[in-house]
Amino acid sequence: MLDLHNLSFMSDGRQIINDLSFTFQKGKFYAITGPNGSGKTTLSKLIMGIHKATTGNIVFAGKDITNYTVTERAKAGIAYAFQHPARFKGLTLRDLLNIALGKDHKADMRDIVEKIGICSFEFLDKPVDSKLSGGEIKKIEMATTIALNPKIVIYDEPDTGIDLWTIDPMVNLLKKEQTEKGTTTIVISHNRTFLEAADTVILIKSGKIAYQGDTRGALPLLSDLSICNQNCKVHENDGCFR
Amino acid sequence: MMDALDKELLKAVSGLEQIPKGAYNIRKNGKLLTRNVSANIDIESLEGSRGIRVIIKPGTKNESVHIPVILTEAGLYDVVFNEFIVGDDCDVTIVAGCGIHCGSSESEGHEGVHQFNVGKNSRMKYVEKHYATGDGTGKRILNPTTKVFLEEGARAEMELAQIGGVDDTKRVNEAELEANSMLLITEHVLTERDQQAVSSNTIMLNGAGSRANMVSRSVIKGSSRQIFNALMEARAKCFGHIECDAIIMDNGINETVPALKALHPDAELTHEASIGKIADEQLLKLMCLGMSYDDAVNTIIQGFLK
Ligand SMILES: Nc1ncnc2c1ncn2[C@@H]1O[C@H](COP(=O)(O)OP(=O)(O)O)[C@@H](O)[C@H]1O
Ligand SMILES: [Mg+2]
Repeated sequence: MLDLHNLSFMSDGRQIINDLSFTFQKGKFYAITGPNGSGKTTLSKLIMGIHKATTGNIVFAGKDITNYTVTERAKAGIAYAFQHPARFKGLTLRDLLNIALGKDHKADMRDIVEKIGICSFEFLDKPVDSKLSGGEIKKIEMATTIALNPKIVIYDEPDTGIDLWTIDPMVNLLKKEQTEKGTTTIVISHNRTFLEAADTVILIKSGKIAYQGDTRGALPLLSDLSICNQNCKVHENDGCFR
Repeated sequence: MMDALDKELLKAVSGLEQIPKGAYNIRKNGKLLTRNVSANIDIESLEGSRGIRVIIKPGTKNESVHIPVILTEAGLYDVVFNEFIVGDDCDVTIVAGCGIHCGSSESEGHEGVHQFNVGKNSRMKYVEKHYATGDGTGKRILNPTTKVFLEEGARAEMELAQIGGVDDTKRVNEAELEANSMLLITEHVLTERDQQAVSSNTIMLNGAGSRANMVSRSVIKGSSRQIFNALMEARAKCFGHIECDAIIMDNGINETVPALKALHPDAELTHEASIGKIADEQLLKLMCLGMSYDDAVNTIIQGFLK
């Protein structure tokens, strides 16, 4: 349903995404992983239209959307939950949900808030600003994205700042959205629980797909430090943290 | 008595569809239009229709006073001095505002000084809105001043807004806080085209345990200019914070100068200031929710000034 054809993205003379092609199938669950700086967020932003591909094209549900704006892609049913969500001055979660749900909606916002594990409804009328914790802003980002009821969605590291006890319910929620609504779901994560929940795992390295397949096949690669593209060793014998 | 234009201006500055309940004083073109007093709230005219004195009896709870001003007469420059004496242990809301309709090439303006004395342990909420309209080419000028004196344990919350149409404004806010009193001022100013706004604020924290928070939000559109100055001076163990954010939309100019002065070793004063365009990440988030670029800009500005 979403085809990436030979996508490349250059910035400041650097090749960040390098001739990448892939087809996401309708209703499937994908996990994207790979070292920091390998291009996962950049790829998502190319799909959402936040960055313009230097070369290549994107086809969604049979239509070439390469030249669509962000707004047009959102309206077509593509959604992206940011790795570093925006913080506002004045806008509340209720304001954002109203925008996501569209006018004349009849949805009960409290259902959405409850789903996401925000335990207090007071959150609805709190400003989405810099006073929120890292975990709270990520939950709000997920709530506003789910409220869009997208056809295809990318969650960019939704688990950062989320406590250990919330990871499993979060995976279950996204699986439920996928199975009940047929949402094509892509989660960028380093967390094993997400990798295990996926139909397909994609490993990105230096702006290219280094592996695609089932989780089992990916695990040995993940423990193999050679996929790390950052030569950060200070001394010969230093191990890598990754 | 009130025509459609009067009603429109009244609604814009006080949110009132009709004559309010409770105490009120409506001033039109420099003269008293209508007034009502209540058992606990008295309003008397100062000599020579210079302004009014509002006297709120001690212990008055959950009552409000509306004192809107409307200007529709070409070339008029109305100057008014209003005094508010809020007794001890009150909990009251005061709604003021000025609406100008300018229909000619002559300028119109209003200069209002509002002086408050808030009694011991009283709570006062003060809401002031300024608004100007009309297709005349004359300048619409508004120069509001507030002077607040908070007695021990008093709390005041002041919402000051100027949300469009005013060509020239010089705003002055002064406050003095006695022991354990608390002040929250929020000021929202939007300027456009070639309008100018200057806001000068001085807050004196005199008493131990006093707390003040000043929040300023400015939106500068077109080639307008805004200057924001705030000084917080601490003379006791107290707490003060200034937060000022300005969003520049087009070719506007902004100057923001928060100043803190501690004359007591236990004073705690902080400030945060920012000037800039609307953050891209905010625009992109709303566009990812399906909004157009222009709608996203409007939504962010409305939220910011809410
Ligand atoms: N807008 C940009 N301009 C220039 N370089 C960028 C930009 N965005 C990201 N990069 C760089 O591109 C590389 C990939 O970044 P990113 O996609 O964020 O990686 P990941 O999400 O996999 O951690 C990094 O080296 C990063 O510094
Ligand atoms: Mg990333």
